[in-house]
Amino acid sequence: MRDTFSDKLVEIASEDSTVMLLSGDHGYGLFNSLREAKPAQFINMGVAEQNMVGVAAGLSRVGFKPIVYGLSAFIPIRVLEQIKLDVCHDNLPVIFIGDGAGFVYSHLGTSHQSTEDIAATRAIPNLIILSPGDRFELERCFQLAYDSSLPVYLRLGKADRGDIHSKDLNFDIGDLLTLKYSLGPRRVSIVATGSMLKMASRLCEHFPNLGLVSVPSLKPINANQACKLFHDNDCLITLEEHSIYGGLGSIFCEMSSEFSDIEIFKIGVQDRFSEHCGTYEYLLQEHKIDFKSLKNEIGKII
Amino acid sequence: MTSSIKNLVPKKIRKNILDMAFNGSTVHIGCALCLVEIFCVIYRNHLRYDFGNPNDPKRDYLILSKGHGVMAQYACMKELGWLKESDLLNYFSDGTKLKGLSDSRVDGLEVTSGSLGHGLSVGVGIAFGNKIKNTDQKTFIIVGDGELNEGSCWEAIQFAGHHALSNICMIIDKNNFQAMDETSKIINQENLAAQIEAFNFNVFEVDGHDENALDDAMNNLLFHKNNKPGCIVASTIKGKGIQFMENKNDWHYLRLDQSLYEQALLELES
Repeated sequence: MRDTFSDKLVEIASEDSTVMLLSGDHGYGLFNSLREAKPAQFINMGVAEQNMVGVAAGLSRVGFKPIVYGLSAFIPIRVLEQIKLDVCHDNLPVIFIGDGAGFVYSHLGTSHQSTEDIAATRAIPNLIILSPGDRFELERCFQLAYDSSLPVYLRLGKADRGDIHSKDLNFDIGDLLTLKYSLGPRRVSIVATGSMLKMASRLCEHFPNLGLVSVPSLKPINANQACKLFHDNDCLITLEEHSIYGGLGSIFCEMSSEFSDIEIFKIGVQDRFSEHCGTYEYLLQEHKIDFKSLKNEIGKII
Repeated sequence: MTSSIKNLVPKKIRKNILDMAFNGSTVHIGCALCLVEIFCVIYRNHLRYDFGNPNDPKRDYLILSKGHGVMAQYACMKELGWLKESDLLNYFSDGTKLKGLSDSRVDGLEVTSGSLGHGLSVGVGIAFGNKIKNTDQKTFIIVGDGELNEGSCWEAIQFAGHHALSNICMIIDKNNFQAMDETSKIINQENLAAQIEAFNFNVFEVDGHDENALDDAMNNLLFHKNNKPGCIVASTIKGKGIQFMENKNDWHYLRLDQSLYEQALLELES
């Protein structure tokens, strides 16, 4: 996914000289191609995230299309007020890339982990939130973010989980991607976003009757498609590498409360910080969203 | 409606501020009164803009980062013809557009501020963009001395210095007070000019109510050739022009009743 990100960035920046990548001194190695191809369109803003977002807002006022890159623990969390006030209030065309979302930085602890960013950004008006699950979704999300000319938060989680899709995608902002319908008799589907899409796909192999839906666009979500999903299923299981408060699970519970009485199980990170150091896989176990824990949990549900 | 930069004179602007403050029963009166000469000099002599279109893309930018001084800017915008008499008369009425803090959705105001430490970075971004585009557009940014408590201001200052944004004129409204007390008692800024200078700025220290001194400082900053951003540390008096408000920090939050309003008008005339 990181190569896809870099390639897409270079493609967009090469076609549009107003695209400016601003980094808060993060992204080691990630911007080598851009810096080689378009050195003037890469600016290391230093370790000064608040100013980076304010400057991005200023640049967009005079015709630039800034892409603000940081780790999701900092972009958007550290600069939430700048995103709200400097960018979203004026609906400016700024893309925020929050990389390493979830437990990617498993060895580094809470400062670099982010499981609250969707909840925190969702309530900001005008902000689109995209959360791709593989490199095909990423490429499409990046293009949609650029084409929208609106404020977008592009959440990037664990990048090496492998592909789900097999070809270029053409979805729109808000679309739900049904990858597999539940075979019933009790119709249960997993609804997953970001890094948990691959996990959901593995779970579907284990439980072949499960349906699978990818949610690369967390805000907005196409309400008609959500209604159809509620109609076509008896039960949904949401799966995300994010708090169960305010993320994908909450979004679907909120929507179902308006449109449906479908049963929804929210699986994600409980209301706690990580306790221990360890690999990414270890931390998924600690938070009970590793394959084995999920297999047990979902086995109970279905 | 008569609109002319000739009306951008301190007494007229202060009268507009008092009218708005009384009509809307607002706070932040002292915070606006100290900005009057700064705004008058910028609008009258330095800022390039289109009278008919505050959003002209070729304009110079004037950014009020200390958004709570916004009545001073409204008062000028009324004289420029960008606001109507009724806007002042109905200030703070239900359903009206002018808020108590700078709001970018009002034509003529560039940023939404009031939460402090935002406007400076946005202004620096505008200046940075204009430098990349190689335009001759300037960016004036008015910052409060209390606002400089915010770390984001210093992020912006170090960035502007590093990138030699000589198209910036940052004016620090140094009235020596902030909301709750004297600035020196909260976060002391004894050597403010030297601090800013150390970030690679050209700095002038002037009396912020001396229009000629402000004028000279802006001329010097904007025509200098040494490729540094400019800063004017403008010593001002919070509540300037109304004796019973001058250096009385309660006028950050006090409101005018009928008798105080009349007394203020009398003082302004005397």
